[in-house]
Amino acid sequence: MPAILAAAGGAEPVVRLTAQSRIIAAVLAIAFMLMILELIRRHKLHERYSVIWFVAGIAMLAGAAFPDLLRLLAEALGVRDVTIALFSLLFVLLLGLALSFSVIMSRQSAQITRLAQELALERARDQAENPDSSRGE
Amino acid sequence: MRTLVFIPAWNEERSIADVIGDVRKALPAADVLVVDDGSTDATAERARAAGALVASLPFNQGVGAAQQTGYMHGLRGDYEVCAHLDADGQHIAGELARLVAEIEADRADMVIGSRYRERGDAQDDDYRANFSRRTGQHLFRLVVSLSTRQRFTDTTSGMRAVNRKVMRLFSDSYSPEFAEVESVQQAVLQGMRVEELQVRMLERAEGRSFLTPLRSTYYIFKTMVVLLVGQFRPRLKEGR
Repeated sequence: MPAILAAAGGAEPVVRLTAQSRIIAAVLAIAFMLMILELIRRHKLHERYSVIWFVAGIAMLAGAAFPDLLRLLAEALGVRDVTIALFSLLFVLLLGLALSFSVIMSRQSAQITRLAQELALERARDQAENPDSSRGE
Repeated sequence: MRTLVFIPAWNEERSIADVIGDVRKALPAADVLVVDDGSTDATAERARAAGALVASLPFNQGVGAAQQTGYMHGLRGDYEVCAHLDADGQHIAGELARLVAEIEADRADMVIGSRYRERGDAQDDDYRANFSRRTGQHLFRLVVSLSTRQRFTDTTSGMRAVNRKVMRLFSDSYSPEFAEVESVQQAVLQGMRVEELQVRMLERAEGRSFLTPLRSTYYIFKTMVVLLVGQFRPRLKEGR
């Protein structure tokens, strides 16, 4: 028992990424960024919201190319296993993204409400000006 | 004084014409606007046939957004008094006229019609709330009274009258979902004179409450969050 504790306490972070997994990660990251470019080109993704996705893609690529970065990250977080450090970071990143989408959604929902109200008031003004004309719905 | 009475309505085709008729009788000089909150039935047609102006929201936006639409119309139409009541027949237009008189006399910036009466004064067709509704009422009453340091009995009442100051405030910011309770808190915290007037209300004549026990719990929880945040909202500058 004491031996295991000693080993756990003193161990350096272990990089468990094999060459194969690094290549797969790099290919995925590049494909991901190409997909974002294509979405922008087809006007399916607003440039305004693409920056954060590019940052995520570049971070993925950097992790695949320089696994030492991941080791530094694990050390900074005080985690012994690099994969856990990676997943923790990913989790925080996704949480942040989800929150920013909620903020964007709330703003747009407020804008939609205002638009609906303006339309409703416009309809009332129409009716006030032409009280006799029956409205075609 | 130019007075607007607006009636937020969502699928109230059975009662809307009667409510409009009552308002016309009780407040003959007032303009009547029905804010149709994306109804899928004949609410808008019946309201127009009854002679009211109708502001139709293109889709259902919630009672708060509908009420704000009414306040916006009042503000832009240069009305001096703006009052509203529910479309389901619970509210008595004659009682609303008493609220309007309070605003005309400038005794308050905002008057709320409270359905809770002194004990021993009840009548047979008076409003009686069910259990989950009462629980929420007690909670809101307590929290709003603590927050505003003013005693309120009926924070969810949809029968109100306001002057231009409050029209301006509510046109700028009004919670789309938790309108009634939060607006009382906001009005007081923004320095408005808010008063309650005891009014008679009827059992709902048509339609039913959307509140099931589960929904009430959720509604109570959300409203509590909104009130907590509202307590720390910065004071708006007195405009214009």
